[in-house]
Amino acid sequence: MLELLWLIPAFPLAGFVALTLVGSRLSRPEVAYVGAGSVGLSAVVTLLVGLSFMAAPPAGGSFVQTLWVWVDVAGFRPAFAFHLDALSLTMIFVVTFVGFLIHLYSVEYMMEEEEGYSRFFAYMNLFVCAMLTLLLADNLMLLLLGWEGVGLCSYLLIGFFYKDEANSQAASKAFIVTRVGDTAMLMALFLLFAELGTLDIQALLERAGQQFQPGSGMATAVALLLLGGAVGKSAQLPLQTWLPDAMAGPTPVSALIHAATMVTAGVYLIARTHVLFTLAPAVLTLVAVIGTLTLLMAGFAALVQSDIKRVLAYSTISQIGYMFLALGVGAWSAALFHFMIHAFFKALLFLGAGAVIMSLHHEQDMYRMGGLRRQMPFTFWCFLIGSGALAAVPVVTAGFYSKDLIIWNAYNSEIGGVWLWAGALAGALLTSVYTFRMVFLTFYREATEWVRHLMPIHEPGPCVRIPLGVLAVLSVAAGVIELPHTMGSLTLFSGFLNTALPEYHGVHASYGTELLFELLAAAASLGGIWLVWTLVMASPGSMERIAAQPWARGLERLWFSGWGFDALYDALFVKPWLWCAKVNKDDFIDFFYRAVAFITETLHFVASMTQTGAVRWYATGIAVGAVVTVGLVIIL
Amino acid sequence: MNPFSALTPIVLLGLTPLVLMLVISFHRSHRLAVVISLVGMALPLALLAGTATSAAPPLAPLLIIDGYALFYIGLLSTATMVVVVLSYGFLERVPGNREEFYLLLTLATFGCAVLTASNHFISFFLGLEILSVSLYGLVAYLRTTRTALESGIKYLILAAASAAFLLFGMALIYADLGTMDFTAMTSVLAAKTREPSVLLLGGFGMVIIGAGFKLAVVPFHMWAPDVYQGAPTPVTAYLTTVSKGAMVALLLRYGQYGGLLDYDSVASVLAVIAVLSMFLGNLLALLQDNLKRLLAYSSIAHLGYLLVAVIAASREGSHAVTFYLVAYFITSLGIFGIITALSDERKEADEISDYRGLFWRRPWVSGALSLMLFSLAGIPLTAGFVGKFYVLTAGVLSDLWALVILLVVSSVIGLYYYLRIIITMYLSAPEDPSSPLSATRRFSLPEGLVLAGLTVLLIWFGIYPAPLLSAIQAAVGSLA
Repeated sequence: MLELLWLIPAFPLAGFVALTLVGSRLSRPEVAYVGAGSVGLSAVVTLLVGLSFMAAPPAGGSFVQTLWVWVDVAGFRPAFAFHLDALSLTMIFVVTFVGFLIHLYSVEYMMEEEEGYSRFFAYMNLFVCAMLTLLLADNLMLLLLGWEGVGLCSYLLIGFFYKDEANSQAASKAFIVTRVGDTAMLMALFLLFAELGTLDIQALLERAGQQFQPGSGMATAVALLLLGGAVGKSAQLPLQTWLPDAMAGPTPVSALIHAATMVTAGVYLIARTHVLFTLAPAVLTLVAVIGTLTLLMAGFAALVQSDIKRVLAYSTISQIGYMFLALGVGAWSAALFHFMIHAFFKALLFLGAGAVIMSLHHEQDMYRMGGLRRQMPFTFWCFLIGSGALAAVPVVTAGFYSKDLIIWNAYNSEIGGVWLWAGALAGALLTSVYTFRMVFLTFYREATEWVRHLMPIHEPGPCVRIPLGVLAVLSVAAGVIELPHTMGSLTLFSGFLNTALPEYHGVHASYGTELLFELLAAAASLGGIWLVWTLVMASPGSMERIAAQPWARGLERLWFSGWGFDALYDALFVKPWLWCAKVNKDDFIDFFYRAVAFITETLHFVASMTQTGAVRWYATGIAVGAVVTVGLVIIL
Repeated sequence: MNPFSALTPIVLLGLTPLVLMLVISFHRSHRLAVVISLVGMALPLALLAGTATSAAPPLAPLLIIDGYALFYIGLLSTATMVVVVLSYGFLERVPGNREEFYLLLTLATFGCAVLTASNHFISFFLGLEILSVSLYGLVAYLRTTRTALESGIKYLILAAASAAFLLFGMALIYADLGTMDFTAMTSVLAAKTREPSVLLLGGFGMVIIGAGFKLAVVPFHMWAPDVYQGAPTPVTAYLTTVSKGAMVALLLRYGQYGGLLDYDSVASVLAVIAVLSMFLGNLLALLQDNLKRLLAYSSIAHLGYLLVAVIAASREGSHAVTFYLVAYFITSLGIFGIITALSDERKEADEISDYRGLFWRRPWVSGALSLMLFSLAGIPLTAGFVGKFYVLTAGVLSDLWALVILLVVSSVIGLYYYLRIIITMYLSAPEDPSSPLSATRRFSLPEGLVLAGLTVLLIWFGIYPAPLLSAIQAAVGSLA
């Protein structure tokens, strides 16, 4: 069964090709069958491959399928080869399954758009193909192909409604900001190839272990550059500014790319090259610090947003911050566990938000929603489950298990400590506050004028409800595959991943400490919900009273703009750059290139004069050429 | 194995024009002539599959049918089949007799086959003349038009002059070495220890002139644009691929056996020719508005690139040359095929302005044409890139750094005019609907199939060159 591996990215690619070539001639249902079906087939194959992988694990815990070698020159031998191990299997499982559910959802969601139905599915299929290539790549060259492909599709999909200029701007912003990280990553690749002479990931990690001293300058440089790439793709500090604007794309795009899959590419990259990071302990600590700072920063920003999709965007940044924190303290499987659970509930939340937005005729402002609990009960329950998982409501949601594991590891790990733990715990409180603020504003309260104006509001159709239902079940049930020591100590997930990633070693604090810390995390989650309830529901208007204070107004503006990073970068990079470009527009370098063009054109005209069309002139040419040739051969 | 059964591919290629001649005298039918030509080209191909593995029996002294010769015969007859398919649509549009065209075409390919298999100056010259004489007729086939006649006469005069040089060069070499047999030359040269005589070097120089004319490299290139423009487009495709390919095949073999590349002075002259060809070809193409002339200039530049690998003469060089040729065949046949297929009774689609806005009416065709142009420019994921990559590798492995750098620089100039054509295709269509009439003709099924096949091959060899490369390695390996 493992030989079917290549089919997993091949199906979405075939879907993309088919839709690009003949998509405009197909009817919408046909497009939907091709577009969603290709990802569905890919998910089925993933299931088959995954089952046979788990039933009979290949020797060494990994299976490599080499399709062909692209070029083979002087030791540079990039192959189209796929590497399947527990890590990539986990990731492709999430990408294909959640991806399929989101495609299914899009079948209905995109129906109301007047044009671009097949274009949308073509881009989405290409995205899934690129993401799978990234995850399965056996060498960094192929990984880069997927990495760039993901970036390209993200650009295309954010700017999907390209007729509105703001959307194109958002797409460009995402592309340019992530490009900063991509450049760092490319430099890491060059450096690795120069130092270790290979781009094959497994061989590379092995050689790195032998050649790099722990903490040496080279190891630190490589890890730092890779971190730069990861930070860009995963929207962490300081390259997080593109993600909130990326919400300009259609909502399924936000669910697929900016929540469930693409932004986790950075997490995957660090996990995949964990050996390099282990060799550079300083960088690993930096990963944890970046994660903690990002999760706090994004948590505060999410508190004051009014656009429902922007709340979710900041929460994504914040949750990936948790994953980075876990990576940074060496809790590799905890990061992956949270990645998987997060993919389920974040996709659920985005799709739920999409259903709300669709019913309200593209209204995204939460202050104009309200009271939707009775109008859309199914969507409400799904959204509530997703929110519970995001806020890590104890015991009943999967998010509790995954996030609690990270918070605990932030304290218990050798690298971790009280500060990281405190940051993570504060983040948990923030998370439940902003999450339930969103829930209360949208679904509780009295219906606003706008909502009453639109009544009766209908629930969405089956293509939307099925993904919501499935994801809701997963958001509750998926947590039981990894239980903490205090609750039965089940380690199915980490046991599986430990075949590919190093095992996590905690300081092994006592059972009582762990229980205490768990209770604290639970208290943070529930306390946050209680706080919001009192502010929003129990005494309406208290929020407005706080917001009216002068200090609160300033803080709100700061948080609303995402801590003012856009303005900062604008002043720091964009404006000076534009200024330089403006001042320099007639500079010497331009002169040089114009001169090159001028000289080339002049030479063209001179050379053209030899083409007279007269045969005697041509014969003369041959005669002179003959004399010179023979002369040179003899003389030289 | 009977040594004469090894000759079967060449004999079959030689029989095809004879059969055509007989059939034409009894029954004129365009379609029948096409079928006979196609079968005549396909039969040797089918046989090649059987004989490719057998050892090469020496057919002393004229011909040697080894894996190398068989590979090139296969390549050239396949290319001829493509030209035949393109010619059918083309000739349907012109007045006069059509069947003799295929007579000349198959005869020319027969000459090419002799060239690739020749192991002797006599067969070299005979093959070359069979090819050239057929080409005079082909170039001037539309004898009622002024331009066709003009380019036919030009080609005749200049080819005859250069053939005289070649013949004289052969005589000089014979005078020095006492043999015209390539294999024998190897041993005679190996026995010599003293400095090469002036006779030998002069002979080499003149052989270069003869070969250089057929390859249209600077300074023997001036005929190319006029002849390319005046000749019927399928013939231009033939000139730029099959005719040049056969000459390159011979040059490689002669270079390996006849000691051509063992002398520094010869290599230096070839290097000068290569550099001049690359730069002059690309410069001349820069602002050219006629697509056929532009491709003539671009072909000069490409042969310059190819010479770099020829100079690199090592095994890598021979691989690179052959791979580059295959990629160049696919690309050129595709482009000329599209030009032929877009032309109609009223006008040939050979001005760049005819292609303005083509994308908006014929997205498939312009997509394919864009890919072909990308391949010529050497953009990755096309066969042209892989070919150019191997040429560069061969140059680097032989420490020809100056040539490699100049190749890269001149390729940049080339990029300009390839992209210019592509941009023209994606511009908005002109308001005046009467001007570009080329876009209305629909492709016939065979034309469409052939062009689609070429496009697929172009991408296929660009992504997955390994099978082609191993085939080439097996074929070129038999050369040494």
